[in-house]
Amino acid sequence: MSNLVRSELTKIVSTRLWWGLLIGVVIYTLINAGVTAGFAGVDPGAGQEASPGLDQPEALRGVYAAAAFTGAYIFALVLGVTGMTGEHRYQTVTPTFLATPRRSRVVVAKALAHLGVGIGYGAVAVVTALAAGGTVVLLRGFDLGLGTQGLWRAVLLGVLAVGAWTLVGLGIGTLIRNQVAAILVAVAITFLVEPLLSVGLGAADLDEIGKFLPSSASSAMTSPPSPFLDLLPWWAGALVLLGYAVLFAGLGVLLSVRRDVT
Amino acid sequence: MRGMTTGLPLEIRGLSKTFGAVRAVDDLTFSVAPGVVTGFLGPNGAGKTTTLRCLLGLVQPSAGHAWVGGRPYRELENPLQSVGAALEAASFHPGRSARDHLRFLAQAGGLPASRVTDVLRIVGIEEYADRRVGGFSLGMRQRLGLAQALLGDPGVLVLDEPANGLDPAGIAWLRGFLRALAAEGRTVLVSSHVLSEVQQTVDEVVVIAHGRLVTQGRLRDLEAAKASVLVRTPERSRLAAALAEAGAGTTVAEDGDSGLSVHGSSTDDIGRLAFAAGVELHELSNQPGDLERLFLDLTSEVAR
Repeated sequence: MSNLVRSELTKIVSTRLWWGLLIGVVIYTLINAGVTAGFAGVDPGAGQEASPGLDQPEALRGVYAAAAFTGAYIFALVLGVTGMTGEHRYQTVTPTFLATPRRSRVVVAKALAHLGVGIGYGAVAVVTALAAGGTVVLLRGFDLGLGTQGLWRAVLLGVLAVGAWTLVGLGIGTLIRNQVAAILVAVAITFLVEPLLSVGLGAADLDEIGKFLPSSASSAMTSPPSPFLDLLPWWAGALVLLGYAVLFAGLGVLLSVRRDVT
Repeated sequence: MRGMTTGLPLEIRGLSKTFGAVRAVDDLTFSVAPGVVTGFLGPNGAGKTTTLRCLLGLVQPSAGHAWVGGRPYRELENPLQSVGAALEAASFHPGRSARDHLRFLAQAGGLPASRVTDVLRIVGIEEYADRRVGGFSLGMRQRLGLAQALLGDPGVLVLDEPANGLDPAGIAWLRGFLRALAAEGRTVLVSSHVLSEVQQTVDEVVVIAHGRLVTQGRLRDLEAAKASVLVRTPERSRLAAALAEAGAGTTVAEDGDSGLSVHGSSTDDIGRLAFAAGVELHELSNQPGDLERLFLDLTSEVAR
């Protein structure tokens, strides 16, 4: 298995996609963390209540952990999708399955390799968030607040959540083999279907279901509690997200084992 | 040259594969022996690639089996070291270098990294190894495919249309290369839809059309069966009558103004007959079988 994981890592790093996505992670996290830190505790006016200030733990978790997660997970999702669809798009799936005819092993190796790179993305995002968010925090005259209660747990969980999203992507990529279609579906689900579903469920007083959606589960791991969102406890969020990852990747294994490669 | 390598025989028995309503392969049976180059011939869409994909465990047969050394490909312990395959010239990520493509395969197959450099040198693309495959010509991709097939130094080579896109020098090189591999005792199966491309390379041929077997045998025997004798004489009808009288499976056809094309009779026999009948001859010569014609005849017979 270690040979296979090495092989999958070679595949990832031998094309340019992975660092293109990594640049995306850095830029998006930079913006996220900077904006979150810049507007934390600022009075929005019009009689609305201000968000917690930068001396509050939830605000700092938002700047360092949630901003890092939000900045990275969509790129991790795309990396996971292309990890599978790219093989079909460029027909490298043929030599891959010739070298390893037991296809379930290929999918497991892919999952491990992508999880590793996804965690790497998460780590880079955290470093970016600490640098960008921390700079803004200091500029606004607050303490860095790295000793804040619950911060490092949220950071660690955020990194793992980014890794889990690569598995969700990998699973979607196994289900939908067309690369463009798979990316569109994955992005549409996360940016469109899920938020709408979440709002809809909230409006119908079905928050109990809404908090089991992948994004809500991720938020439960990293985000500060919010009056608008009813979230699971952090550990339950982690389990739910892991469940999605395993579900999608497992479907991928089942589907790929017997399907003809033409 | 390396030492003798034991190739495994390939056995295709009662193989059928249906894609939706299309019967791509239809009750196909043939075998491929080690030590010779076998040509797997048929027009486009005859089912060659589907057969090879069944053999390599990529496509699940609807019926029958295609085995390597008595086992399905998926049950081979070290597949890359048993069977090397190159299926189409497009199985590469355009943004990945040739070396990296071979590297991930070597890693997956547990092969030493040195093999990557070895095979790049063997197929002669070492100097392009670190360039992205997207910029490769079709001929270079074919060579990379061959390098991929050779990676595990396998006893069996399965190559789909390897001569496609090669220039004449490349085809000559491939010919010598495949013959040398077979001479080492390996099993070499080469598919093509153009007979002339592999005519001078293969010893055995398997011809299929519409998913069904048309013929299998030594190329030399097929050529001999299709060979004819050309006779030119001013007394064509008299000679034709004499030949018809002698009978014994001889068929005669008119050829041009004064010629006869005779199948199933040797120049010796025809000369003797003409002498006995007092027929004047202007030419009496052996005509090799037109293989391209033969190929078209064989594959269109099934179509009818």
